[in-house]
Order: sequence, then C-alpha cells, then structure tokens
Amino acid sequence: MDVVTEQAEAFPDASTAGFAIVVDGLRKRYGSLVAVDGISFRVKDREIFGLLGPNGAGKTTTVEILEGLRDADDGRAIVAGIDVRKEPQKVKGLIGVQLQSSAFFDGLSLLELLDMFAALYGRRVDAMAILKKVDLAEKARSQVNKLSGGQKQRFSIATALVNEPRILFLDEPTTGLDPQARRNLWELADSIRAEGRTIVLTTHYMDEAETLCDRVAIMDHGKILAMEPPDALIQRLIDKGFKGDRVERSANLEDVFLDMTGHGLREA
Amino acid sequence: MKTNPFVMLTWSSLKAYFRNRGAIFFSLLVPLMIMGIFGLINFGGGTSSVNIGVVDQAHNQVSDRLITNLKGIKAVKLHTGSLDAEKQQLQQGNRDLVAVLPASIGQGSTAITAYYNQGNPQNSQVAMAIMNQFVDRASFAFAGVSPALTLDAKPVQSRNLTYVDFLVPGMIGLSIMQTGLFGVVFTFVQWKQRGILRRLMATPMRVRDFFFSQLVTRLTTVALQIAVLLAVGLLLFHFHFAGNLFYLLIVGIVGGGVFLAMGLAISGASKSEETAAPIANLVSLPLMFLSGVFFSRSSMPEWLQTITQFSPLTYVTDALRSISIDGASLWAIRTDLLGILIWLAIAAVIANRLFKWEVV
Repeated sequence: MDVVTEQAEAFPDASTAGFAIVVDGLRKRYGSLVAVDGISFRVKDREIFGLLGPNGAGKTTTVEILEGLRDADDGRAIVAGIDVRKEPQKVKGLIGVQLQSSAFFDGLSLLELLDMFAALYGRRVDAMAILKKVDLAEKARSQVNKLSGGQKQRFSIATALVNEPRILFLDEPTTGLDPQARRNLWELADSIRAEGRTIVLTTHYMDEAETLCDRVAIMDHGKILAMEPPDALIQRLIDKGFKGDRVERSANLEDVFLDMTGHGLREA
Repeated sequence: MKTNPFVMLTWSSLKAYFRNRGAIFFSLLVPLMIMGIFGLINFGGGTSSVNIGVVDQAHNQVSDRLITNLKGIKAVKLHTGSLDAEKQQLQQGNRDLVAVLPASIGQGSTAITAYYNQGNPQNSQVAMAIMNQFVDRASFAFAGVSPALTLDAKPVQSRNLTYVDFLVPGMIGLSIMQTGLFGVVFTFVQWKQRGILRRLMATPMRVRDFFFSQLVTRLTTVALQIAVLLAVGLLLFHFHFAGNLFYLLIVGIVGGGVFLAMGLAISGASKSEETAAPIANLVSLPLMFLSGVFFSRSSMPEWLQTITQFSPLTYVTDALRSISIDGASLWAIRTDLLGILIWLAIAAVIANRLFKWEVV
C-alpha cells in the first residue's frame, strides 16, 4: 500500500498562524493498546476537515484529545491557538462540540437548554436566532425527546454554536438519518463554514466526506495513512490503474430516491 | 444572573426537577405513606390505654360507685359485660384485665377476682397496678380510715410524648437518606449512560458549579419533604414540635450532603441502573432498620447498639429528635453534628475517588 502522508514534514514550531489546529506527534495508549500513534496534522482556518477510518482507528480518541476531554500521553496539540494539553478549559471555551450520543436534560425546552449552555460559557444568547439557524424555531418550546433523529442532531449542533466557536467538532452527525435529513445537515455544515468557522468532521460515509470536506485524513491503527483533498486521493488511486467493479454513472440510487421523494424534510 | 453558570445550572435543574410531577409526588407520598402506616399502627404503644373489663354481679350502690370511679381514670378504657363475654374478650386479647365484682360486694370483706391476659404482660401489669391501687383506696374508704401514707403528686410541666413524636423526626431522617441516595444514584447513572455528563464536560463548565447546583436542587427537595412531614405530623397526628425549625433545616442540609455524597459514590462506581439499584439498597436497608428510624435503638442487643450508634442515619435521626423533642440547640447536638460531618468527609472522599463522567 502506498502511504501518502505529511507526517514526515517537520513543522516549524512557531507557525500556527492560519491554522485552526496544529497537531504534532500526538500519542495516546490504553494499557497495551496504542490508540493514537504519534500523529501529526494541521487543519487550516475555515476548512472542513474530515477524519475518516474504520471503528477503532483512533479518530474518536484524537478528536477527544483536541476537545480537551482527554489528555494525550505525548505530543503537542494547538487548538484555536491554545495548547489544549495545558489549558483544556480555555480551549473548551473557543470550540463547539457535537458528540455522537449527546442527550440533554429531560424536562427543559430547547430554548431553556440553549440559555443554560450559553451560561456555561458565561454568555447570553438569542436562543431563538440559533434555533432559526438550525431550522428548529417551531420546536423552540418542545423538549428534546419530542424531536426526530435529524432534529436532535441539528439541536446538538445548535448547542455547539452558543459560544460562536472558532472550531466546530462534528462526530458522525448523520449516522442513522434518512437521505433528506442528511442533505439538510450538509447544508447546515456548509452555512456554518460560510460564517468563517472551521469544522472537523468524523464520518463513516465516504460520500459525505467527498461532498463536504476540503481535505480528509484517513486513519487506521492510530496512524494517519493519507491526508489530501478527496479528489486528489481518488485521482491518485485511478492513476495507479485502479478500476472499480461498477461503471460510474452520473447519478446513484440516492439521487433516484431523492428525486422520487423530494428534498423536503420528513419530521412533523 | 443569566450568565452565571452556577445560577443557571441550579435554575435549570430545579425547573427540570419540579416539572417531573411523578417524581415529586412519590418523593412526598412515600414518606407520608410510611408515616401514616406506622403512625396508625402506633408501634410505640406508650400511652395507649389499658382495657379493663368489669363484670358487675352485684348491681348495688357500691359496685356502681366502683365502676364510676374506675371510669374516671384516664388511662383506663372500661368495658362492662357478662362474665362469659368479658372472659372471651380477654382471651381474644381485647382486655388486659377482667375484674369480677361479686354480688356480696359492700358486705364485709369481699374478694374481687381479676383475670388477666398473660399474653400481654406489659399492659396487664399496668392494669393490675391500677386495680390494686384502686381496690386499696376503696377499702380505706369503706373502712372509714384515712391511709397512713398518702402520695401527694404534683404535676410538672411536661409534654405528653407519643410515638408520633418519635416517628416524625425519624421519618424526616429517612426521607433525607432516600432522597440523597436514590435521587442521585438513578439520575446520575442515567446521565452518565446517555452521555449528558460528557456533553457538559465538553463545555468550560466548572465541576464544582455542577455539583453544587445538584446539591441545591436535592436539598430543596429535602426541605420540601421536611415541611410536608412536619405539617402532616402536626395537623393529623398531633405531633409536638418543641424545637427550632432552622436547626432542623441545618441538620437536614448537612445530613442530606452525606447521603448525596454516598449516592454520587455509588453512581460513580456503577455502570448501569441494574448494578446501582442493589448497591443503593444494600446501603439504605440496613441503615433504615438499624438507625432508630421506626423503633428506639434501646430495644436492640447492646453490641448492636454499640455498632449502630456510629451509623450516619443514627446521627441524623438522633440530632433531629433532640431538636424536635427536647428543643435542643445546635451546641447540644454537637456530637451528632460532628458524627455527620465526619461521615460527610468520608463520603465526599469516596465519591471523589469513584465518580466518573462517562461509562468506560
């Protein structure tokens, strides 16, 4: 296998300018299992960066270290200009996090939850405006358990936006959603990036990464195997003489599905 | 205020808590139900009257006077009937003593036969003593002599303590423990499993803001429970409250802290509700029955009393009882308070060790 990686590149220590995230030789082990094996990468400001890899590849551990939820054993991670290993609380204030299974307190409305989350950042927000942004204004006074899967994910993103974060982490945001809801979430991610925020996305859906991400890193066994724009990675594979076992057509089954059922959201 | 993390966490958590009508209802209903059951059964039995049956075979002036006088004794519930009927009542345990006034009463020396219930020696002894005293006095009166010795009883200001007076502070202690343990264990295990705690940890929230907000929420419930138990005790069960409400609340808060910390330790150590529930029961059941909640610990064997005096719930109920019955000051219950504080420290250290924010 051809290993294409920027790992070998030595980062000039000072130049974190222009980068939302700079990771250098990050390492984390659980007992004998090496979850993250000395990875290095940079995420540019305002890009959507995809972290791909099979389960157990080390994506989640990497993201959790960057989010300040877990400490690494070794290496350096500068997030939003701050060393997350030294000042995790400070980093937490500058980023927004949507977790894979983040539930919320029962008994509170979406508006109340957003107000509470804002207060955790010492802020006061226009909760309704945030809900409008994620298309949940109609559900403002509902509780989370009354929301559909896609609505829950959008609300989860709403809570990650209360502090106007520089970087937004999305952990498998479209898992379990129907095609309409998935497309809807992609649009939301694009609009958030258009506001000048950087997005780090983990996903198992390659079409999602291909559509959304400016660059992707493919991880396995705690190492980064490749890191490039999706098109460049695909071209590299084709250049190697790779032939898919199906003929590429200009539409796929999802396009058929959406053509027949429409792009409108199904979540009454 | 709206941007203070602690204030908003507390406010949110109170709102969420009090919107859960079912939980509120049960947190108030269960202690009231237990109090109602125990209060009605009246396990203490301390001031219940003795039942004396009288079989009047004379129906003359003397026997009439005797019966009237017996009726005048407050502690005696007097029943009259035929010999067979009264003896049957005695056998069924409805009488502690049955006295037969023979037809010959008032004519010279007469023996009054007394049947008593061996099955309930405590009450029949009281009944016997009353009858003895009564017969003596009547004898002197009939003989026209004044007794050589008399007892000059002087009333002293004292509250007539009932079992309810013992029970209500015990129930308050029990509620504090249950709310602390179970209120926290189940919620936190759930929050942990559903990833709610992890989501909060991804914000710059300070851990102490979170825990103190939870503390305030639970202690508000405890205060509410104390108020309801006191009110129902006062209104329905003629509970006598001699103490200072504020002191009672302080013991409730500090004691509540002990059980909250224990609850956090248990929820920290357990991965699911299925493991948390038995552990919480394993802690609460022995404490409930060995800490003098329903019965005085003085009825336990001495070695058990020695051990159970150190139970956190014993300290709490003892302190609550001293306040509500004796009107004790905080200084007077300093030993109990010290015991509670030591337990608080122990539980806090264990909780700090065991508590985890996520299911690993």
